[in-house]
Amino acid sequence: MAESKLLVQGTPPPPLDREFTIVGKSINRLDAPEKVTGTAKYSGDIKLPGMLYGMILRSPYPRARIKRIDTTRAEALPGVHAVLSKENTKGWRTYWYRVPQIAFPECLTFEGHEVAAVAAVDPVTAQEALARIEVEYEVLPPLLDAQEGLQKPASPLVADEEYPGSETYGRKPYIIRRGDVARGFAEADVIVEDTYSTQIQFHGTIQTRACVADWDGHTLTLWDASQGIWNSREVLAKSLGLDPESVRVIVKYLGGGFGSKAFCQRIAHYASKLSMVTGRPVRIERSRREEFLAHPHRYSCRTSIKMGAKKDGILTAISQQSVVNVGATSRYYAIQVIWHTANLYACPNIELEQVGVYTNLQPTGPTRSPLNMTAIYSLETHIDKMAARLGMDPLQFRFKNYAYTSSMSADFAVTVNRTVFDEEKKIPYSSKNLDECMTRTAEAIGWEKRRKTPDLSSVPVKRGMGMASFLVFQGVGLMPYKAYADVAIHKDGTADLSIGVVDIGAGQQTIFAMIAAEELGVGIDDINVIYGDTRGTRYAPSSHASRVTPEVGPAVLQAASEAKQKLFQIAAAMLEVKAEDLRSKNGIVYLKSDPSRSIPFKSVCLRIDPAQPIEGRGSRSPNPDNPMFSTFGAQAVEVEVDEETGQIRIIRVVSAQDFGTAINPKFCDSQVYGGFVFGMGYALSEEGIYDPKTGKLLNPNFCHYSMPSVMDFPPLEPIIIEGEDPYFAYSAKGAGENTNAPTPAAIVNAIYNATGIWMNDLPVTPDKLLKAIRDRKKKR
Amino acid sequence: MNGDEASLKLRRQITLTVNGKRVKAEIDPRMTLAEFLREELDLTGTKVGCNRGECGSCTVLLDGRSVYSCTLLAVDAADREVQTVEGLTDEQGKLHPLQEAFIEEDALQCGYCTPGMLMAMKALIDRNPRPSEGDIKQAIDGNLCRCGCYPNIVSATLSASERMARKDRVD
Repeated sequence: MAESKLLVQGTPPPPLDREFTIVGKSINRLDAPEKVTGTAKYSGDIKLPGMLYGMILRSPYPRARIKRIDTTRAEALPGVHAVLSKENTKGWRTYWYRVPQIAFPECLTFEGHEVAAVAAVDPVTAQEALARIEVEYEVLPPLLDAQEGLQKPASPLVADEEYPGSETYGRKPYIIRRGDVARGFAEADVIVEDTYSTQIQFHGTIQTRACVADWDGHTLTLWDASQGIWNSREVLAKSLGLDPESVRVIVKYLGGGFGSKAFCQRIAHYASKLSMVTGRPVRIERSRREEFLAHPHRYSCRTSIKMGAKKDGILTAISQQSVVNVGATSRYYAIQVIWHTANLYACPNIELEQVGVYTNLQPTGPTRSPLNMTAIYSLETHIDKMAARLGMDPLQFRFKNYAYTSSMSADFAVTVNRTVFDEEKKIPYSSKNLDECMTRTAEAIGWEKRRKTPDLSSVPVKRGMGMASFLVFQGVGLMPYKAYADVAIHKDGTADLSIGVVDIGAGQQTIFAMIAAEELGVGIDDINVIYGDTRGTRYAPSSHASRVTPEVGPAVLQAASEAKQKLFQIAAAMLEVKAEDLRSKNGIVYLKSDPSRSIPFKSVCLRIDPAQPIEGRGSRSPNPDNPMFSTFGAQAVEVEVDEETGQIRIIRVVSAQDFGTAINPKFCDSQVYGGFVFGMGYALSEEGIYDPKTGKLLNPNFCHYSMPSVMDFPPLEPIIIEGEDPYFAYSAKGAGENTNAPTPAAIVNAIYNATGIWMNDLPVTPDKLLKAIRDRKKKR
Repeated sequence: MNGDEASLKLRRQITLTVNGKRVKAEIDPRMTLAEFLREELDLTGTKVGCNRGECGSCTVLLDGRSVYSCTLLAVDAADREVQTVEGLTDEQGKLHPLQEAFIEEDALQCGYCTPGMLMAMKALIDRNPRPSEGDIKQAIDGNLCRCGCYPNIVSATLSASERMARKDRVD
């Protein structure tokens, strides 16, 4: 086993030095019994005595100014306890991530922007109160198109005009450059150019956002639907002028996140304020329509790529321009569409440019591989296009240009304080098993049976195979890259594990209990996890960006290891041996050199003072600049395309991911399934549709926004590629977000293999495919 | 809503059976069955994901058939029998084979669609004890799961139905 390089503060824990007894087993999720019996209380299920119901009045226009607002008729309605609007909340800021925004702006910049909030005795009264608020709007023409936005001067009318942060990223190109692209293209035998567009995707969490806020005069308690309790606490305290210590955030169950609840939600600010104003608990639960209208969805993007290669398949140059529509937002990933192009392949000459444009579409933000999926779609489709032009097998072409190192260090992700990245670094990855992912995927799908050229015959139903690979930076998120964990072993032989993380359904609670149980050498049932509550835990990052397993895992391991070492001191005296010679597993503490000399873990615990449990503390240190952390994988898809109807049926999928170690293999498989649902929806059916004149969202519901159902889900074979990675707890990397990144490219490449048609515009709906088929017929 | 304050105070009395218990209540006649279960009876296991019959998370059984409780008025359930996820376990709290299989097969992640999925499957298994994969898919075609548990939900239902058939043979 490689030397441990676990990123913890202080001395790294000694190696486990034995085979796993819990890690690697498909243990049932600890919260499953509550979830299958309906006893799990999600935020919207919390009901407190005297609770009021809050509702939000939202802008019906993408761009407007409030000329006049009159709330007197709403306030006069019996049962209404408070009405908040710009008139009585001057100076109040809410936060998206850490960016302040006017709580109720005069200038509204997207359809769904908050205009007023009410709290009433029941939902019917609250709804009636909203209807009684009189607003006179000056409706302004919205800016919807990012390309058009680039040509125009910056809009002077933005909601947070006091905070030009909204324009921080807007229109400023970010560039990654190395070598000499002009020379690279001159050296190329083949040059392929094309343009790709990707659309807006919504998270579609089945739980709509809901929260209950309860201000008792001293403490604000918030049952939230957030992926991160600590980040929520921080910004809520700031927004409401409270000491963070007097804010408690609880998230025990979360009905889907996928990035949409990555940070404190705006309704949490409004519910908290309403509770403080009325002195009563307030619940706000959003409707499905509100979910579509006012939450940060996936960015739409337009990318042009030009790629040059030698006849033998060696890439000589890549240039790329990507324009991202960031909507009415204040935070975005400034180089996330171009980073993959810079790092997935070893091309000596690149010039990549990404620019974000602020528009009057809804805000954008974290969405299961936010721009990764966009980036991988255009890059990996283009790679196949180049392979086809060279007459090479796309898999061989990928291997030929395989990159062993990263060209950039990790700091870019958090401190985007420069716009040009032009020094090429050769930074090793903490581990990289992409080659194995590709090989195993190809074997499992039967790549050798793939058609060498597309089927151009007149047979209406055609089959084809496609593949895409990916890398996703591991642990993108906000600073600080730190996480804490605490373990306490009690006299009864059980141990508490306290972690400030939210179990968003990926199984975080169970995974960390497994790591603690493994390290302590006890059973999973002996671990009591305290989580999802800022009371009783210390800081941990939000459960987003696949970051909690890699970031919190080391802290949990360290805390458990420290507690175990202390327990071994007691056991050593009992067995009359040295503590450092002891090991533990399956509830037994034993001498490493002679396992017959042993004592039950619980017997040692009997010596613990009940008032003073044995404590272990763990904390992870920030990411270093070297090595680089990423997850990798490959996906292959077989499709059937009906050229008469435009229907695309996915027949089979193989997906191999480099997860380091799968702490719980069945959870990893579940992540692969979940990722595929997102990727397949993005490739084939999901799209936010806007009226080009008014800028209003036309499909804010599950009927017209089409997410994959059980009928659409194809047979999928997940493959977990394991490898050592000394930087993570038992080598476990994150598994959640990255699994959808390759899906659209793999599907589009398979469609080409079947039909000879490249689909450059997602989603590939039957009408688009039929049009492409008709256009081809015309050309012939 | 016409803004008439009197209309805010409409009430109607209903009696129905919920999870085997007689329930009597005076409610707003505009209240949906989902709202009634959640807000009046505190049976919050029934989830509301869209409130317009598109996602299936509010699925309950009405006289043994699966229905979207968000598109049914509570008054329409009067004198009928409603079963929710809270009624799936037996009186001793023992899990239903479907619940056991859902846990075992990892047929849930965030758990929000789970009660609806379980109830749709309960309705299916009650009328068709040995459903095929196709039967199962058809029965939850109206239930969305964004976490992507579909394959595990199908395999869990198959395994539960096998388990129940085995148990019937033994009994």
